[in-house]
Amino acid sequence: MFLNRMINIISIITSVLIIVAVMYGCGDTKSVSKKEAEAAAPVTDCFESREGYTTVQRVENVVPEYGYPNVKCSQSTTGVLWWGDPFYGTAPMGDMPVIDDETRGDYAVAEAVVKPREPKLMYFNMETTKHCAFCHDGKIVPFPKNKKPRLLAAHQDIVANSLQLMHGRAAFWCLDCHNATNRNRLIDHRGNEISFNQPQKLCGKCHGEVYIDWRLGIHGKRIGSWTKTGKKRWWVCTECHNPHTVQMLRYNPIKPEPAPVLPKGTKSDEHEITKGKEIPLAGH
Amino acid sequence: MSILRFTIDFVKYALTGGIRYYVWLGVLGILIVPWVYGTYQQFIIGGLIVAGFTDQISWAIYEGNFIFLVGVAAAAVTVVFPYYVYKYKPLKDVVLVGEMLAITAVTMVILFILFHMGRPDRLWHMIPVIGIFNWPYAILTWDVLVLNGYLFLNFACGFYNMHQMYTGRPVNEKIYKTLVYIAIIWAPSIHIVTAFLINTMPARPIWFHSIMPIKFLATAFAAGPALITFTLLTIRKYTDLKIQDEAVNFLSQIMVWCLGIALVLTFSEVVTELYPSTEHANQLKYALFGMHGLTKMVPWLWGAWIIMVGSFILLLIPGIRKNYKILPVICIVMFVGVWIEKGMALVIPGMIPSPIGELSEYSPTWIEILNTLGNWAIGAAIFTFLVKGAIGVMLGEVRHPNFDNRNASQGSH
Amino acid sequence: MSEEKKEIAKDMEGEAKTRRDFLQDMGAAALLGAAALMTGSDEAQAKTTWAEWFQKNYRLMTDEEKKEATLRLEERYSEEYGKKVAVDGSPAIKGVLFGMALNIQKCRGCRRCVYACVKENNQSRSDPQIHWIRVIEMEKGKFLTESMDKGYPNSTGESYGIQVGGNAYNLAGVTLEGQHYYEAETVPRKDAFYFPIQCQQCEKPPCVKVCPVRATYRDPDGIVVIDYNWCIGCRMCMAACPYWARRFNWGDPNLPKEEMNPKTHYLGNRPRMRGMVEKCTFCVQRTREGRYPACVEVCPAGVRKFGNLLDPESEIRKILERKRVFRLKADLNTYPKFFYFID
Repeated sequence: MFLNRMINIISIITSVLIIVAVMYGCGDTKSVSKKEAEAAAPVTDCFESREGYTTVQRVENVVPEYGYPNVKCSQSTTGVLWWGDPFYGTAPMGDMPVIDDETRGDYAVAEAVVKPREPKLMYFNMETTKHCAFCHDGKIVPFPKNKKPRLLAAHQDIVANSLQLMHGRAAFWCLDCHNATNRNRLIDHRGNEISFNQPQKLCGKCHGEVYIDWRLGIHGKRIGSWTKTGKKRWWVCTECHNPHTVQMLRYNPIKPEPAPVLPKGTKSDEHEITKGKEIPLAGH
Repeated sequence: MSILRFTIDFVKYALTGGIRYYVWLGVLGILIVPWVYGTYQQFIIGGLIVAGFTDQISWAIYEGNFIFLVGVAAAAVTVVFPYYVYKYKPLKDVVLVGEMLAITAVTMVILFILFHMGRPDRLWHMIPVIGIFNWPYAILTWDVLVLNGYLFLNFACGFYNMHQMYTGRPVNEKIYKTLVYIAIIWAPSIHIVTAFLINTMPARPIWFHSIMPIKFLATAFAAGPALITFTLLTIRKYTDLKIQDEAVNFLSQIMVWCLGIALVLTFSEVVTELYPSTEHANQLKYALFGMHGLTKMVPWLWGAWIIMVGSFILLLIPGIRKNYKILPVICIVMFVGVWIEKGMALVIPGMIPSPIGELSEYSPTWIEILNTLGNWAIGAAIFTFLVKGAIGVMLGEVRHPNFDNRNASQGSH
Repeated sequence: MSEEKKEIAKDMEGEAKTRRDFLQDMGAAALLGAAALMTGSDEAQAKTTWAEWFQKNYRLMTDEEKKEATLRLEERYSEEYGKKVAVDGSPAIKGVLFGMALNIQKCRGCRRCVYACVKENNQSRSDPQIHWIRVIEMEKGKFLTESMDKGYPNSTGESYGIQVGGNAYNLAGVTLEGQHYYEAETVPRKDAFYFPIQCQQCEKPPCVKVCPVRATYRDPDGIVVIDYNWCIGCRMCMAACPYWARRFNWGDPNLPKEEMNPKTHYLGNRPRMRGMVEKCTFCVQRTREGRYPACVEVCPAGVRKFGNLLDPESEIRKILERKRVFRLKADLNTYPKFFYFID
């Protein structure tokens, strides 16, 4: 008896609450359609980590299941903000030297891919009458006799002064990394040719500690699967660092995404900058 | 069916009065009209976005009022305790006023909680069995228990007593006294638990103080009796109920000593925080002096302290304390001072700077202010009705037709 | 299963059962009562709203009820956002405890993580604008001879008291004095370093403790989640969180259709409603399927690292092994699963 009455009373209260709930529910949809923001056209020319270097084009619907594009980019900076398909436009990273101690990476178990650099190289991809090997075939431009640094008239768009390469503090220069006789490849100190897709094999020769961190996944960047056996896209050294200017800037500055809106009731962020003093503090 | 009859007679009496009475109710009514609009805006149309809240300042006026009113509710014990435990007879007619105040204050607390909640429609999630009541882990669940328990106790004690006075039958001493003693122990617990609700958060250093419960009690036992004293003096002036001078004097003494204790505690807190002046003092510093040029809170806190210190000094002087023309003014001013000090000036600085150091400021919206005023008006109306009815019962104007005269002379307390 | 666990499971079953019986009675009566008032509104939506309103805490649902709830949501969201929306309900993976580490030395303050998170997790875009990550710009500071009188106490014309000069007011590395709203042509700015903060996924989360209805709880993989349909909006958790990680939907969230991410999780990025709390979930909809969280993927400097703390070979464990690590506000004994490190 008592229980029944209780249930009745609660039912009545519940009904009232439901009405409120439904009104809340209706409110949800109404305001979504009302407030719907006008969509600005999505940014299609984007860059990943290095502006002007790791460019990427937005391609619609590469994941049909969710209608994802390959990337979504920032309206204000054109930086890539989100990967619909982390492996779009990638190629296998290729073999890596085996290190058989506690610092070995997870190449052995996980599929590793990279964004190949070669298709994006300006001279490399020119038609055969113009590309790197056309000039650097030992005839039009003779092969250099030795690796001794000298002032170059060519490629000043990349390195303004070849005697002051901003890398290694004058300890080396162009031909310590670029193959003198095959400009389509890099070269290490033992004369091994290295693909532009795998600069880590070259950089790691000097930057051993960073290289080991990179192989462990704790330096640099990987996207895709966090699992031990999952497929990952690896960012290689040059996707973040410009080897020609790295001594000046380890990492090129980029434009930040917009600040969050100020909380209502707060009119400006002046107090954060000046800390309440009339003169801004040093550096701001 | 004497209960039904009592209810009808009680309500009838509470709703009838002179012109002044209706003017007072009319004023409250005028405050409630915009409240209806504001409530509609908040609950149906916009949600809490119509108020001045931000993610940085997620608790503000509503919560300040909630905390303050818990104290007012607890303060009923300042009349119940001396009357029943010390048998202090002059408080005979005051006990019921205290209990009515407790009922009103807890009702207002519930009202402010509803305004605080993002999803009041989901309140049923707290009901055990059909929902989940995270007891004993969440202190809020303790607060729900003690507040509702306190509401029940005061309702039971007050109305059982009045009903017996109404019919002329004596109270069942065993049951009644038991309830009263439970209520006496229960009263401080509601405020202590409410203090625990916020002082157990190291994320908010200004609240994270072990003196919070005792300071809450001290300020509550200053502000509560102030309101009761004001009510008593009003009753004395406008009704036939004779309130003894001793009752008023007794309350104003409680008031002045509790206010004194509160000031000492506040002083201790300020010294403890400001002397070492660690990062944890930032919120207090913001409230006291402003920070980086943001100073909205400063006049409020200093104003409250000036009021509290001023009231304390004035109340220390017997001539002023016993001057019933000045006393109600001091009572109301002091009430407002405490309201600022433990309401807004406690809750809002707990949010500024945020736990990760962001400074922002809070401005209430009109809807928020109207809703707050409306809630107070509703509270004032409830209190008026309850006290009016209680006066009728005490005067014997609300009386069962078959009133049993045998006990009339001795009263039922 | 230990004795204790069995008992808890039995309790939960019992609780679920009573509730089911009860709701059958109550539901019928309430539906009848409210149905009359509902004429005019869209029937299907009203039905869904009711069903959602009556459903119980996600953790207490049977598998069947969970499926029902997610299907119901899929239907509603698909209609609302005009695309096929998937609502996943997958539980924590066994043998996994998630952790994230952030290289404080290399963070550039570009805020891309903030917006990647918004794109992935369907936050309200404006009114209220909700960001789960906050990046703070901190001062590196400069100690200059000229600023020797800028400090506290201000030394111009005043007695130093017990302190004899040397006041070079400088906020270098002072926490709680950062800039939250910095704007710049490029970052990192010369005299600054950056400090991103989000939910620290504590092992002893103060927010979970204070929730009166257990709407927020910690799943076995270490992610502190919220059942958005169970939250009553009391904001105790927001007050209790020492990392300011929780956000509130003050009004109806504003999520444009074309920006809505249709791959969702019940406890993660499904569209929210007004009046409840949300926060970072380590992108539960991604991570429980093996993918990195959105903020980890987007960071152009690769400062964010993520993985399984139980796997000694994972990148997160390698960081703990090889780098200098600290946890934010370690004095609070919250034991975050979010680590800050330097090389």
